[in-house]
Amino acid sequence: MPATDLPISALLLLVMPLLAAIGLGVTGRRAGNAAGWIAAAITLAGLLLSISLFSQNEISLFHYDWAKLGTYTLRLSLRLDYLGGLMLLLVHFVALLVQIYSIAYMRTDAARVRYFAFIQLFIFSMLGIVMAGSLLMMYVFWELVGLSSYLLIGFWYHKPRAAWAAKKAFILNRIGDAAFLTGILLLLHYTGTTDFSVLPADLSSFPYQQTGPVTLSVDEWLLTAIGLLLFGGCIGKSAQFPLSAWLPDAMEGPTPVSALIHAATMVAAGIFLLARIAFLLTPTAQLVIAVIGTITMLHGAWKAMYEWDIKRLLAYSTISQLGLMVLAVGIGSWQVAMFHLFTHAFFKAGLFLSAGSVIHALSPHDVKARFDPQDMRNMGGLRTVMPWTFICYVICAAALAGIPLFSGFLSKDAIFAMAFVRAAEAGSFWYLFPIVAVLAAGLTAFYMVRQVWLIFMGKARFARVAGIHPHESPALMWGPMAVLAAGSLFFWFSVNPLDGFSGWFLNGMEYAPLAHATWVPLLSVIVTGIFLGLVFRRARRYGGFFRPSRLERISDRNSPWRIPLRRINPYADHNEATQHQTFFLIFFQKVANFCAGFERNIIDSLVNIVARLTVVLAHMIRWTDRHITDGGVKLIVGTARGAGQVVRLFQNGKIQSYFLVTFVSVLLLLLWLTLIN
Amino acid sequence: MSDYLLSLLIFVPLAGALLALLWPARRVQDLRVLTTAICGLEVLLSLFVYFGFDKSSAGYQFRETVDWITLSLGGLGTVSVDYALAVDGISLPLVLLAAVVMLVGAISSWHITKRQRAYFSLYLLLSGTVLGCFLAQDFFLFYLFFEFMLLPMYFLIGLWGGPRREYAAIKFFVYTFLGSLLILIVMIGLYLSAINPVETAQAVGLLGLGDAPNAGVILQIQQALAQGFIEPGQLVHTFRFEYLADAANYLPGAWLNPASGIFLGDTPVRIWAFWLLFAGFAVKLPVVPVHTWLPDAHVEAPTAISVVLAGILLKIGGYGFIRIVDGFFPQEAFFSSVPLALLAMISIVYGGFNALAQSDLKKMIAYSSVSHMGFVLLGIAAFTAEGINGAIYQMVSHGVLSAMLFLLAGVLSDRTHDRQIEHYRGLIGPMPRYTVLTGVAFFASLGLPGFSGFVGELFTLMGAFRADQIPAWIPALSTLGIMLAAAYFLWTLQRMFFGGFWYSNSAEVPALTDLTRREIGLLMALAVLTLLLGLFPNLLFSMSGPTVQGWFEGMG
Repeated sequence: MPATDLPISALLLLVMPLLAAIGLGVTGRRAGNAAGWIAAAITLAGLLLSISLFSQNEISLFHYDWAKLGTYTLRLSLRLDYLGGLMLLLVHFVALLVQIYSIAYMRTDAARVRYFAFIQLFIFSMLGIVMAGSLLMMYVFWELVGLSSYLLIGFWYHKPRAAWAAKKAFILNRIGDAAFLTGILLLLHYTGTTDFSVLPADLSSFPYQQTGPVTLSVDEWLLTAIGLLLFGGCIGKSAQFPLSAWLPDAMEGPTPVSALIHAATMVAAGIFLLARIAFLLTPTAQLVIAVIGTITMLHGAWKAMYEWDIKRLLAYSTISQLGLMVLAVGIGSWQVAMFHLFTHAFFKAGLFLSAGSVIHALSPHDVKARFDPQDMRNMGGLRTVMPWTFICYVICAAALAGIPLFSGFLSKDAIFAMAFVRAAEAGSFWYLFPIVAVLAAGLTAFYMVRQVWLIFMGKARFARVAGIHPHESPALMWGPMAVLAAGSLFFWFSVNPLDGFSGWFLNGMEYAPLAHATWVPLLSVIVTGIFLGLVFRRARRYGGFFRPSRLERISDRNSPWRIPLRRINPYADHNEATQHQTFFLIFFQKVANFCAGFERNIIDSLVNIVARLTVVLAHMIRWTDRHITDGGVKLIVGTARGAGQVVRLFQNGKIQSYFLVTFVSVLLLLLWLTLIN
Repeated sequence: MSDYLLSLLIFVPLAGALLALLWPARRVQDLRVLTTAICGLEVLLSLFVYFGFDKSSAGYQFRETVDWITLSLGGLGTVSVDYALAVDGISLPLVLLAAVVMLVGAISSWHITKRQRAYFSLYLLLSGTVLGCFLAQDFFLFYLFFEFMLLPMYFLIGLWGGPRREYAAIKFFVYTFLGSLLILIVMIGLYLSAINPVETAQAVGLLGLGDAPNAGVILQIQQALAQGFIEPGQLVHTFRFEYLADAANYLPGAWLNPASGIFLGDTPVRIWAFWLLFAGFAVKLPVVPVHTWLPDAHVEAPTAISVVLAGILLKIGGYGFIRIVDGFFPQEAFFSSVPLALLAMISIVYGGFNALAQSDLKKMIAYSSVSHMGFVLLGIAAFTAEGINGAIYQMVSHGVLSAMLFLLAGVLSDRTHDRQIEHYRGLIGPMPRYTVLTGVAFFASLGLPGFSGFVGELFTLMGAFRADQIPAWIPALSTLGIMLAAAYFLWTLQRMFFGGFWYSNSAEVPALTDLTRREIGLLMALAVLTLLLGLFPNLLFSMSGPTVQGWFEGMG
């Protein structure tokens, strides 16, 4: 594909949201209700523009010499290709729906102009990641996305937990970013570029020889290290183990933000990064990535099964799905990972918006009422009151659970199929990945049914609190939800409801796997079916989900089982009260306190001891002077003392005289030096 | 005027200092206007230099050279000290920075009421000597300014500072004074080892007094020197930077002649000299473990002096390092890359951890300075074009950002005299503008792309990765510093500024008013500056790039 200059209109994609963010930020509250409509209009223009650009199916570039150091020039560039074009459509589409929804959702918030300004800032940064032509450029926007995420999580800054969660998200992301930056700089050092259009070619000049899967050369280790360091950025942004803890807390932000940023787009940036660098991942790096993805997937699914907060449950589910996508990259099929990213963006954004609708409906008018509108134990029976929300929620949940006829089934199934194909090539150990993935998909079905049941089925449990009158949300809210739910149906992606490989998405990627396991859909349907049976049985018998299961009793914080565990790791129970003290940050705190102690007690006290010893020594010398040295020395000392008396005249405590004397004496000295010439 | 532009830059504030001293006591209120006007004039003068500067040229420009002191010592040769000034792409960014930060400091000194005459006179004296340091092209002259700077600084901290000002002032003085003694030793050694070829040519009669020096004569003298043909009595010893940087001007067999290879113990004398110089400038930079004067000095110093201290004085350490240590000892600097980079890494990480543990806002910022100046050393240690350019960039960037940070800390101490982080919560309530500008400064300092902090860190790290002699794990571990920066800045932001408003001393709550117009103006100007530098790093690199390039080419 020939590289042509990026049309100027593509730059508008970046300029428009940036100007919107600045403009809305400057006008402040005066913009009022118009802010949301302006923001949505700008995003709609961006969507139309990216549709028109999408048809030009070729790589386009734009260069700017950002820093020239003698002969060396650091160049920033933008690019637009099929992969980026898809992401442009996705980001604009979801952002448009979320902003329309937000117009109604944030109607009563006094700071809604600032909200839309931040959203536009986020869109600007996210589009920057998508259009970045080099890893360095991507890093620049990567950090800006981190900033906008920080601003939006902490949007209600008067809530201490929101401010805390914003900080936690940024810092945990920064840990990954430090690795990301190291990887970029190493790559820059060894290849001289991080530009996506020249990097694959330059990599052939890389000191890397294919020595077969058994013996690894040192240079291959180097490439593995670079790949894994770059993956560090993904671990942070896409909330992979062990940096996943920020995502559930990020739910402190407004719910539409969670839908846009913490479900559909920003957290997908890590997967997009992996898709961009997939060509340089060595087999070892792929294995590590697959393992991390698998751990994340299981951990997220497990936490989601026992969560009571409607949004935190969805956050854990997002972590789990992101783990699945990372696993897909790990097995060498980044195209199916992108496929799942795409379908997931629709149904997860739909779920978050619907959850927002539920929270909106249950929020007490009296702010001081002791009622948590996000706790699913306070819900139940909402299907009759909120029919639209119910329908959207069920469709999106079915897509997430991987039930046939919905989009999630297609993309998940493609990942399972490719994992089995890879396992067949690579050997027995690799079978672990698809098997665990299919089981995790079963868990997904379990916790989603549990959630739908707790929210919409059974009796209403909110009635005990006065002043709560749930109602269906306005059309401005359920409209976007319905669009996203409709987008979660199979036929948008593939005509065959059981085969994602025949759809346009993977075909467009020019992705046609050689081997094809046709029995995989059957297997996943069976496993999902078993889990559905389990969850329905549990819902109808044993007192619903309220009676703790045997497993829950074991993992309960106060159970005797936990005591030995607590002894090994005192931070094992990171509940809400202790969470901010523990988990990574406690380590830094300890090192920091150690350093401060070292500074105070070692370095500084050493300096003070030296100072004191000097004074003691001076006193000793004075004593020696007085009592031991002979009269001649005494005479000299006496003279010095006399001079001291004269000098003391000047020491009358006024800085002017100190200063004047010093100044004059230096002038005299210079004069003398000049005159003796 | 352009012939005396650099002299004006030095002597206008010095004359101002004298004027301030003699200012009539009745009109003492006008002194701050005078000081601000002089500092504003300095900015204008430095802009004249900037616009007259030929960016494509790698050499010195705006030269001013006057024979100053010539002492004949008979058989020992001649002492020659020149009043030599010039700028090049390495010093010009720092001259501009110094002029701007001095103006910022002057404006933030307006509320000083105690002993104004002395304060403003010392401040202007400091301003002149600082610029002298960056402009001097003669080691003697440089040292004179370098030493003379301590005096006003000592009094400014010791008389206008906080409760422990005397301890801080003495500590500052002793530390930096010991450091400069080490520099003095090497300066004398260099002076004894090298000659001024032009003046020597005049002394032996190869060149008439009024004749322009030409390359052939200089070569002739250098060859004669190498073969020992010149009588010792005819040698003219020099302190001039440009002659000290050229190995051909060194006496055969002299202690610091690169070719002579004299050892002291098991180590070559030049290595000793290198480390002595390093130690001298390391105190100023500062490098862990000789940094502990900095937090004390910052905490006790008045706001304007903190701004100047962090904004400019630290940079003289980095400037001296590039100009003098790397300039006269390039071989030694290259072979000491690894220990230097290691010290830089320790400064970055150790400073970051200490910043995380502080409960005093100003002390936290002071330790963040230690961490950020570690990147300067990392870039210098790398000894690559990216590294040196990055170090210069990082110095300017940190100068602007630390000025901003200390102004912000000063805002709080002006209002309540209390800088304990845990005494405040939710400051965004009463002080929204203050919070926004603090947020900007914090994010710029923690290296958010778009602001200058990111560029400085990026290029110093890139330089260190590109340096083949430095193992990759050193810069890799240094990236811990950018992570820690996020931790200590954002943690402070969360604890002090967000949540519901609360202040431990409820009687003082009404004092917590939002920024005044003067404060907003100053902070906004600095914020725009860091944003401009961050978006267009070529503003600086176009100055420093060719000079550094020429410098590397000169070394071969």
